[in-house]
Amino acid sequence: MRCQRAQKWMTAAVDGELSARRRRALDGHLAACAACRRELAVTERMLTALAGLPMEAAVSARLEQATLRRVRLAAADEAERAPASRWARWLPLPAFALATAAVLVLAIGIVRRTGQVPSAPAVRAPRVDARGVAQAPSSLLRPPRRFAEAPPAEPPAKLAEAPDLFVDMPIIRNLDKMTHFEAIQTTTLDDEPATPDGQEPPSNG
Amino acid sequence: MAPASVGEMKRPEPIGEDEGTATAAESIPAGAAADPDVALMLRLQAGDQAAFQDLFQKFSPRVVQYARRLVGSEARAEEVTQDVFVQVFRFRHRYRPESRFSTWLFTIATNLCLNEIRRPERRLRVDLWKPRGDDDDRREGPQLADPAAITPEQGASSRELARQLEAAVGELPPKQRAALLLSRVDGLAYRDVAEALGCTEGAVKALLFRATQSLKKTLREYL
Repeated sequence: MRCQRAQKWMTAAVDGELSARRRRALDGHLAACAACRRELAVTERMLTALAGLPMEAAVSARLEQATLRRVRLAAADEAERAPASRWARWLPLPAFALATAAVLVLAIGIVRRTGQVPSAPAVRAPRVDARGVAQAPSSLLRPPRRFAEAPPAEPPAKLAEAPDLFVDMPIIRNLDKMTHFEAIQTTTLDDEPATPDGQEPPSNG
Repeated sequence: MAPASVGEMKRPEPIGEDEGTATAAESIPAGAAADPDVALMLRLQAGDQAAFQDLFQKFSPRVVQYARRLVGSEARAEEVTQDVFVQVFRFRHRYRPESRFSTWLFTIATNLCLNEIRRPERRLRVDLWKPRGDDDDRREGPQLADPAAITPEQGASSRELARQLEAAVGELPPKQRAALLLSRVDGLAYRDVAEALGCTEGAVKALLFRATQSLKKTLREYL
């Protein structure tokens, strides 16, 4: 055994944590090496001194009271939360299963009461007029609410006073090209003349 | 230690419905049942808050001392000790009697102390273990128990060694310090130190070897 390894095992040997086989090997080395015997003695003195350091320190009454106060608060907090957790324990199914069941029960209840499947659109038989011609429901004949009123022929007065708001800008007409942002540098706008082949566009600086 | 106000800590006082108690109690190993600390923990798990007070009174002096040496500040050590025992209470159902209570306790203490050491604002604080001035001798400091010291000179020498040792321990890297304190000062087995530090026994041996080498180098003239 080399001295370096012997020194590595000394702390564990003093602590009684060295295996029997290693202890025998260490003892064999120590019997023949005076330097390692001295080193072991130093290690023992130091570890003995360490073990002699006080293990405990005085605990102030303030610390004890503060700790107990915090524990009482924690206990009160747990007590408050306890009823909710007890109730939750009676729910063996996960929340989504419960929600699914609730929806099912609701749907069955609606079907039983109305005789209609709630999700299917209600289809009524078309009314038949005196001539025997089926008439479309009035809801289909009505224009949608968005187009109920015809758009005004003239813009509102406020907008008419500010014609600069309606400047015709090529970029606005070409907004769809902005979705291909990477290609925009090589794309000409509709209103701009195309750059001659092989020429760089003029820089703005 | 002055007694704390115990008016609100009557015995036994159920804390609430303890879902963890049954499982912990069912799995008590034969040896653990005789361990008074395990018995206190089981009482705490069953809702007896007075058991917590007993545990605090028994173990807080060790936790305060350990935290002082690890975080290096008395004020922070007290805060960490509070946090340790509040966590003992909060997570009491996670304790399993298979391991010793002190090992579980020092696992919590080590984690909180190492977290505290990592906090950047800690660097602004005064280091408790720096060499002190003459007036500091009046303070209550660590005294090395040395029954072999007969003469005043020898006694003074061992006190000086203790002081230098405390200072040198304070200079060790945190994990080496924790391993050394747990194994040598608190007397935990390497297996328990490994559990507290969340590493293997081999790693503990390596930490202790490096720590011992550093201390021997620093304290050579006193040894």
